[in-house]
Amino acid sequence: MVSPEMQKLAQERAARMQAAIELKEPDRVPFTGLGGDIVAAYAGITAYEFEFDFEKNRQAAIKWLKDFPADSPVGGIGGLDNLAMSVAFVDFPDLANQFFMVNGPMNDVLNMKFARFPGRQLDEYSSRQFIGGKNMEPEEYDELIADPVKFSYEKILPRIAGNLADLGSPTSLATMARLGMVKAQQAAEMRKTGAALAELGYPTGGGSTFAFAPLDYIGDHLRDLPNLVLDIRRYPDKVKAAAEAILEVLVKWTLQGKAAGAVQAGFPLHLNEYLSPKLYREFYWPTLKEYILRLREEGMRSRLFCEGWHDAHLDTFLELPAGWGIAAFEKTDVRKAKKVLAGHTCISGGIDVGVVISGTPAEIDEYIKRLLGDMMPGGGFILGPNVGNLPRNTPIENVAAVYEAVEKYGKY
Amino acid sequence: MREQLLKSFVDMDEQEAVKIARELVETDGGAVAVLDTCKEAMEEVGRLFEAGEYFLSELIAAGDMFNQIMEFTLPKLQGEEVASLGTMVLGTVQGDVHNIGKDIFKVMAEASGINVIDIGIDVPHEKFVEAIKEHKPELVGMCCLITLGVDSMKRTIEVIKEAGLRDDIKIIIGGGRVSQAVMEHVGADAWADDAARGVRLSKELLGKE
Ligand code: B12
Repeated sequence: MVSPEMQKLAQERAARMQAAIELKEPDRVPFTGLGGDIVAAYAGITAYEFEFDFEKNRQAAIKWLKDFPADSPVGGIGGLDNLAMSVAFVDFPDLANQFFMVNGPMNDVLNMKFARFPGRQLDEYSSRQFIGGKNMEPEEYDELIADPVKFSYEKILPRIAGNLADLGSPTSLATMARLGMVKAQQAAEMRKTGAALAELGYPTGGGSTFAFAPLDYIGDHLRDLPNLVLDIRRYPDKVKAAAEAILEVLVKWTLQGKAAGAVQAGFPLHLNEYLSPKLYREFYWPTLKEYILRLREEGMRSRLFCEGWHDAHLDTFLELPAGWGIAAFEKTDVRKAKKVLAGHTCISGGIDVGVVISGTPAEIDEYIKRLLGDMMPGGGFILGPNVGNLPRNTPIENVAAVYEAVEKYGKY
Repeated sequence: MREQLLKSFVDMDEQEAVKIARELVETDGGAVAVLDTCKEAMEEVGRLFEAGEYFLSELIAAGDMFNQIMEFTLPKLQGEEVASLGTMVLGTVQGDVHNIGKDIFKVMAEASGINVIDIGIDVPHEKFVEAIKEHKPELVGMCCLITLGVDSMKRTIEVIKEAGLRDDIKIIIGGGRVSQAVMEHVGADAWADDAARGVRLSKELLGKE
């Protein structure tokens, strides 16, 4: 049973985030916290244990969150983006989302070609890796456009999943049966982790699901990014038609996450930095914008993680209704984003993990003080790291310096 | 024809550029002209990128055009004296598999006259050492896009030192995770997180600019 005190804390944390999203000033600046490989190192376990052993993973997360509490938790076994498999099974709403993230134990069953895990293809101290690859030829665009789901099931899945290479074979049927068993075990473990987080005062429910710009599906899973960049020039009409066909499937998939309780959809953007404003507006943005608006109509908000430089595309957000969601940044300076987006879009990020890794505690204190001084006034800001993963050897006194500085300077 | 080639290349008109290059290469002294013009075009594309007019997609398209044209031009240059500014061993460091940026930098460095030996991605420290021994380069380029790669670069440079090779070479680092601070931390000689600047600095390190 979660104590009333912890229930209250969870409400405060949720309210803080909500206020920032609604472009208001909360009581304190909401802070998403630091995490990544350092969480396992802090608990004295390997990356392999952290990614394959639910009990050890849970204990590591609890230890971290007790010493470094923030407004959103770390925890749970992470995985690699397996969107092509969700697309292949999108007509099965009870399953499609289950396949989206391939974690270590799932990959032992599936043997995905894009995946490398610690203690398997990597040493025990390396974190999991998505290595990508080209899985589709340009001649196949017409098939993709005609039916993205069928194309993913018949063509892509056998190419990316070692143990589904021969669909309908005993190996593939056994693989799916085993995957079901692994998922059932994991669901029970995830409920335990959820309960442990609730006891630490973290909100349950109102969670987040995923979404992807249609062109990123092509770049990450089908053509590989540099090939897609060339396709845009060589087969512009096919690329556009493919983006539209994929949009329908992906919206359907994300809304399955809503049916399971999610209120927010997180889009990691990949192709953004590659494109000039002209190509961005012509090829990438139209279906992304429509995606965001369609989710909004269904009562979901979006969070766009703008990887790389997004400076050249900042103004496109202004085409969305004010308060539409959250724009999180990696290399783009959040101060610069604020100049364009203040009063319209909630901004997230700001802490360059490079500073946390190589700075001194005094430098970090000064850095956070200046950052918050610039970003807090007027509200609409969620503080967080610019990338999600702090390496194992990050000095722990630097981590502590971040949390202390947020405590000191984060009050409105 | 050179003018047209330059223009269509810089304007990203792939079909036109390749077509003109194919015609030009068959004329007397054409292969050298194609090579020089494409180098000039790559330099111009780099300038437009640094000026913020071109983006990564233009760098990738230009690199692809350059490679396509070189495929039928280089064989015709056999026996011609092609001046090289020097040799660079280039790789993405151990633990990191990103190659798009490295490949862009490679084409631009080659177009500027540097002879690049590409040793791939996720390159073990020892493989850098072996490549240095084998190719005796003036420059070593390391690429790194993930935070974990920073340690890997540091370790690679230590291993190069231990092998007694550090004083024979200059080291330039590139990729999304590099900065002045990272350069000092790992003990490199120069850094660049954009290809055009990287090529300029490489030439400086070679004493060629
Ligand atoms: C495309 C991409 C991928 C592709 C890579 C495809 C490929 N074949 O390269 C895939 C999907 C495979 C991938 C995988 C992963 N990625 Co990735 N990826 C990106 C992304 C979107 C773009 C990177 C890129 O190509 N940039 C464009 C190139 C052109 O830039 P560049 O490399 O800096 O190169 C330029 C200059 O630096 C210079 N240059 C390049 N090399 C050199 C060398 C020298 C010597 C010089 C002088 C100059 C120079 O020239 C180039 C042109 O100007 C970035 C986010 C972003 N937008 O930055 C994340 C990003 C780099 N990835 C990231 C991560 C975490 C990963 C994964 C670990 C994810 C995972 N958990 O599996 C794996 C990596 C596995 C591994 N061990 O490496 C993080 C890194 C965070 C961090 N600080 O550690 C980023 C920043 C995303 C994020 N915000 O979280 N990724």
